[in-house]
Amino acid sequence: MTFPASGRDNCVVVAGTPYVYATVGGRSFVLRARCTHRGGPLHLADMAEDGVRLVCPWHARKTSVTRLRAEIPAVRVGDQVTAVFPDRPPVRGWPAPPTACPGVTLEHRPLSPALSRRHQAAT
Amino acid sequence: MSHVPTHVPFELSGAELRDAVVQYATAPIYHDNLDWLNHDNPYRRQLRPQVLPHLDYDKVPGRENILDYTSLAVQRLLTSIYEADLVFFPKSGLNGREEDFRAFYNPGNRALGERIRPALERYAFGFLDDEVETSGKWTAESLDAYLDSLDTSGGEEPSLSERAIRNSSDPRRAARMWLVQFAPDFLSEASPMMRNVLGYYGPAQSEWFKVVIDEYGYGVHDTKHSTLFERTLESVGLESDLHRYWQYYLNSSLLLNNYFHYLGKNHELFFRYVGALYYTESSLVDFCRRADRLLRDVFGETVDTTYFTEHVHIDQHHGRMAREKIIKPLVEAHGEGIIPEIVRGIEEYRVLLDVSDFDFSEQIAWMDAQPELKKLHDPVLRGMRQGKVDAPVAHLVEPRGELSNTHCHEGDELCHIVSGTMRFESGLGSSLTLRAGEGVVIKRNRLHGANIESDECVYEIHSVGDYRKCLS
Repeated sequence: MTFPASGRDNCVVVAGTPYVYATVGGRSFVLRARCTHRGGPLHLADMAEDGVRLVCPWHARKTSVTRLRAEIPAVRVGDQVTAVFPDRPPVRGWPAPPTACPGVTLEHRPLSPALSRRHQAAT
Repeated sequence: MSHVPTHVPFELSGAELRDAVVQYATAPIYHDNLDWLNHDNPYRRQLRPQVLPHLDYDKVPGRENILDYTSLAVQRLLTSIYEADLVFFPKSGLNGREEDFRAFYNPGNRALGERIRPALERYAFGFLDDEVETSGKWTAESLDAYLDSLDTSGGEEPSLSERAIRNSSDPRRAARMWLVQFAPDFLSEASPMMRNVLGYYGPAQSEWFKVVIDEYGYGVHDTKHSTLFERTLESVGLESDLHRYWQYYLNSSLLLNNYFHYLGKNHELFFRYVGALYYTESSLVDFCRRADRLLRDVFGETVDTTYFTEHVHIDQHHGRMAREKIIKPLVEAHGEGIIPEIVRGIEEYRVLLDVSDFDFSEQIAWMDAQPELKKLHDPVLRGMRQGKVDAPVAHLVEPRGELSNTHCHEGDELCHIVSGTMRFESGLGSSLTLRAGEGVVIKRNRLHGANIESDECVYEIHSVGDYRKCLS
């Protein structure tokens, strides 16, 4: 599946689970944008003080960046990301909401400064 | 344990690097030529050493600047450095060229080249670090899914380059320029690949060797792929001696060819080479099918396209062999940690193909547009004199026969002839004659050169940046 790393269609929703292309510490990866705790918006997460975990804006649940980084194999070329998504969504954690569209859709999701490549490049 | 002095890794940069580049490139075999062509002398490569002290080799360009002159200079340097590992002889024998032969292969020249190679590779290929980035935990299954998703067929859709040839005002000229771009690769075909034949690394090594055996025509010279390509060149009126058309190689043609030398020379990039090999072998089938048809459409039935039709057949096997017999066993042997490098090789090569396709099609458009660009001289000069742009100017006086070996510029320029006559060269078989009061707009990044055809020529080069600003 190929989608833009930024801009209007920066979020790919696969079987109800959204993914965005995020950057932490200068290295980018495909981020599952749903917290496994209660489904909070991980694309708006802040970085924890330890610098190695993301803090979900809903209930402050912390998730390891290393673990998130490993989830989806991907390659970015310029501004296009090609990712290999799992056939089935992760079984653990908060389930994806029922969706009328079981396939793949593109939409836009803003990224928090902690996850935005452009923001990090500017600072 | 006795005291061990601190290890200092090798690194060359700044003025030291620049001086080392100049030291390498000032050898007489790299000086400017008095002719547009080299004549059966594989050791002569024009590196324009007089310009090299003024370039910055430290600031790695992004993709948007990868066709600038410094990149062209670096690609020419790297081609010479890599090819010192390869054996070349003039077709007509060494007679009279012994000195050049020794100058090219002597340890001093090779050592000077090796000394600057890492820094030049960083300059030439560093932009790929920004362009291509892998992430996530790749598995054998996800690699399979990714490879299945790649569109290696290309199908019937012509590339920008193929379209540029078909739509050119002179398709034969454009097609010859196209074939010339392949010469650095095809005449020494599979030489970069040979770099990975050496060593001792298990069954994949033997599979790799099988691909090379095909490329080398099973030891029968008539079927060696380079021999097939020589016939293609000769059938359309081109010569097949190595680097005859050196001055007509585009930046990106050298970039593509050097990429495989870069991967083959630096064995830490071995897995990247595996990926690039897979993609090139898989995607060549349809490309060669279209190339065969294109060349026959342009030149008629007299063109020898066996080089391309042979690849239509053999590369169907090579793509499969690369995936089943090289990639898969290597992942089994060395673990899934090597997969990101394989993926990166595939994607880097695809980026370079795009760069090259764009560069060539732009060059054909530039060659075709020469009469129009000559006509633009007057309004651009007028706009400049009206102060629409503030353009630095260089005043030049050159004698008859002074050949400005091919190069390009970072921005648009206006060439204005004050007196005398200049032949302005914009590609193979593409030139203008410019006389006093005439001139031409030179577009950014486009390869060109000039020769003085009067006893003396006085001319000006105005660095206008963007010539359209002079017209607004």
